[in-house]
Amino acid sequence: MPEVKTSRFKSESVKALANDNIQRALGAPFAHFVDGRKSAIETDYTEESWDSMRDRAAATKAHTIERLDYYLDLVDKNVRRNGGHVHFANDAAHANQIVLDIARQNEVKTVIKSKSMVSEEMGINDVLEKNGIEPVETDLGEYIIQLAKETPFHLIAPAVHKTKGQVSDLFEKFLDSAPTDDIEKLCIIARDVLRDNFTKADMGISGANFIVAETGTVVLVTNEGNGRMTTSAPRIHVAISGMEKLLPSIEDVGLFLRLLPRSATGQRITSYNSFISGPRAGTDEDGPEEFHLILVDNGRLNLLKDETLREALSCIRCGACLNHCPVYRKVGGHAYGWVYPGPIGAIVSPMLTGLKEGKDLPYASTLCGSCRDVCPVKIDLPKLLLDLRHKVVKSGASTMPERLGIGQWHNAMKTRKKLEGKVRLGRLLQGLIARKGIIKRLPLPVVSGWTKSRDFPALAPRSFAEIWRDELSGGDRS
Amino acid sequence: MRVALCATCLVDQFFPEVGEATVKVLRHLGVDVSFPEAQTCCGQIGFNGGYRKEAADVARHFVETFEPYDHIVAPSGSCSAMIKVYYPELFADDPDMLQRATAVGEKTHEFSDFIVNVLGVTDVGGVSTGLVTYHDACHLLRELGISEEPRTLIQNTRGVELQEMPKSDACCGFGGLFSVKFPEISTAILNEKIGNIHETGASTLVANDCGCLMHIRGALQRQGSKVRPKHIAELLAEGLD
Amino acid sequence: MAVPVEDPNKEAFLERVRGALGRSTPIMVTPDHPTLKTTLPRHEEKVRTTKARTEARRPQNVARLETIATAAAWHVHRAADAEVAANIVAEIAATIHAKAVVRTAEDIFKRVDIDSTLRKRGVSPTVLASGRARRKTDLKDIAFKADLGVSGVEYAIAETGSCALFQRKGNARITTLAPPVLALVVEESQVLETLDDFFAIVRFQFLTNRGRLPNYYNFISGPSRTADIEQTLTIGVHGPGEVHMILVADA
Repeated sequence: MPEVKTSRFKSESVKALANDNIQRALGAPFAHFVDGRKSAIETDYTEESWDSMRDRAAATKAHTIERLDYYLDLVDKNVRRNGGHVHFANDAAHANQIVLDIARQNEVKTVIKSKSMVSEEMGINDVLEKNGIEPVETDLGEYIIQLAKETPFHLIAPAVHKTKGQVSDLFEKFLDSAPTDDIEKLCIIARDVLRDNFTKADMGISGANFIVAETGTVVLVTNEGNGRMTTSAPRIHVAISGMEKLLPSIEDVGLFLRLLPRSATGQRITSYNSFISGPRAGTDEDGPEEFHLILVDNGRLNLLKDETLREALSCIRCGACLNHCPVYRKVGGHAYGWVYPGPIGAIVSPMLTGLKEGKDLPYASTLCGSCRDVCPVKIDLPKLLLDLRHKVVKSGASTMPERLGIGQWHNAMKTRKKLEGKVRLGRLLQGLIARKGIIKRLPLPVVSGWTKSRDFPALAPRSFAEIWRDELSGGDRS
Repeated sequence: MRVALCATCLVDQFFPEVGEATVKVLRHLGVDVSFPEAQTCCGQIGFNGGYRKEAADVARHFVETFEPYDHIVAPSGSCSAMIKVYYPELFADDPDMLQRATAVGEKTHEFSDFIVNVLGVTDVGGVSTGLVTYHDACHLLRELGISEEPRTLIQNTRGVELQEMPKSDACCGFGGLFSVKFPEISTAILNEKIGNIHETGASTLVANDCGCLMHIRGALQRQGSKVRPKHIAELLAEGLD
Repeated sequence: MAVPVEDPNKEAFLERVRGALGRSTPIMVTPDHPTLKTTLPRHEEKVRTTKARTEARRPQNVARLETIATAAAWHVHRAADAEVAANIVAEIAATIHAKAVVRTAEDIFKRVDIDSTLRKRGVSPTVLASGRARRKTDLKDIAFKADLGVSGVEYAIAETGSCALFQRKGNARITTLAPPVLALVVEESQVLETLDDFFAIVRFQFLTNRGRLPNYYNFISGPSRTADIEQTLTIGVHGPGEVHMILVADA
């Protein structure tokens, strides 16, 4: 399992801010995501309005999550009827064991992988390597970070933080290729290496963008073709998914195929969509002989059992919230310390790995609401972040200085008299640090960070209430 | 109609001139303004920090103070949003307070919202000069849906030209507690906003929220910028008798 | 084939899910969800009207498919008849100097005789199907060495510029995946208007065919692409980088 570094958000974010390369990556490349999405929504004609589609999608996901046991049962029955195996994994360790068992039973030596965020939760690559099985990422972005031994920077574009120069260096080091700054040439180098793996691998591991309960179908949404390769060429295909990725019927898929590509990459549709319901049938020419679907909990029950936080499970992993988040756009994905970054990550990571370690993540937001505006399934992300903050406070995990500060505020705001008493004291003390109504250095706990880069205003010599009393009320005092 | 001014804690203690300007504009438009002197704060700092018990105490005091009035006007999008959108959540488990808080929320309006949508006025009659640019405060824009009203009021101010900045709806990085909990990120976001403001060549930056203004002003001052931050009430009050 | 065994962990897993949702008993009736709660006669009617509408609007749908597919980087060719279509395939092969061509064993090639037109240009297409003196294990090797792959389609979808392919006997997935250039032959009657049309028809097949659909079907909506390096678009990564759609009028 990848190390949980959620408690390091503050220090990692400061490092990210000082990292020129990360700042460059978070600039123009992300403008592509933002503009592409906007353009796709505004100019690609759809019969139904964008907002109406979001409403229906939100309702469909809520409906499904509320009946998750029913639909999981349906998936199981249907996939097995189609000849596939279904496994229910309680946590990452359990899921890893299931994969290893499948591999051992089938004498698997090499594994190719297409994109799966859940497999990142599992740290499956390390597990396979420790057990003498070689895993190769086939998604170009995942392949690059596999070589660099890093975690994904973004949900959709895991290597967006790498320059072409850095990619060239990686390829030179690990693949013995000639250095080049031609991006197309770099893609071809990766393609040729990976192509070899496609023909030889024993097992393919994929994720699942959606799982249709009614027909027992895993839906993959991809652009490169590695998803098709991974699920077609090897003799065993294992699809790993979070247990929440379900949709009731195949007739729900069209709606989500309209929302996901536009939200994620600004496309009307991705180059490939695969619909996999089982292993090859008797008369099929090719395809895997064995199909396994692993449905993973790994802490999702924590979200499921909470009536407010449950809607976080509606996420279809498009990445739009990341792309529009002012905080993510300054610090990038690694600072969030686990598999999922950005607004959705600030909710999911602490709930899956521990609120105590991840207590800073719900606070790493200005609550600007941009994420809520762009979420294709209308998850009220700010509301969930506020709820998590309340949980952090209730658990007693807030810092002492902060609790004391809020205590002071609470005390002051209970009555006018108390407030005015505190303000009188404040006006007295600020004489030490204020000049001409401006404070250049605030030597107080909790708030001192303000004045490192910004001036702070001094308390006004007379409050508005006093001015009202003295000048504006005209005798009319309430 | 009895209109109560909710000054907001920031205006009350740090920017009283904004309160003065608000009163001046409302009186100019014929509003009989009251100022309930028991007011302290809407409670959003506590609520946003996750301290709901404390926030509920402060919010209860707010509701008690303001419920006798027909209208409540606040020169702040974030305070108005707290009252209108989040009081119901804060009091979800307290049916009596929920009802009272919801009633108060329905009577509460942000300043520009009140002028345009309750008073039906789009031209306050103010006079100013120069190039002005406008920042869309997040709660005002995304919780309350207000973006046209302030622009209309600014554009109808004689002598003033409104120049939109790139990404006027981008967050300024304040976020209340966020500005001091994560000062480096807050500053980085703020610097992008400052850059966009300077790009307009405007001499004045107008916004409806003192949280944003305090934050933006903090950097403009520190960086020695000539741009003057103004609350929309201050701009509209100019040139009025 | 025996139905795989139920996971012994399933019941406990579902019980925990149920408990988290505040229920102690499983749901026994089909949930009230618009797409699920329909009757077979109503769905049959829906498919009937879909097909009637598709038929009535065929020229518009085909035109729309061409526009959207072209914008998505397909090379779209219109063929007035089967012979023209077969010649287009041969021309594509000639343009790319193809030495090895593979195709599926579908009925469309009885009508669109690419074997003849290709042979005239000195290329003999290999049919990627077993039972033609070829083991299934050889299909991969042959496909990966081919320059051009040719296949028919089940449907094409105008809304998204997509071709839908069903896996079945005679239709190997690797045909449309491994070669760097792909040509798909689409009969105009196969063109549907929207994604919803496609899924309605597929669902009907599922509901009436005792739940049997191909275990694999897929959409191809353009060339293989990636923007994983610096968000700069590159065409032609693991799947075909050049895709041709040949729209042939029905007989």
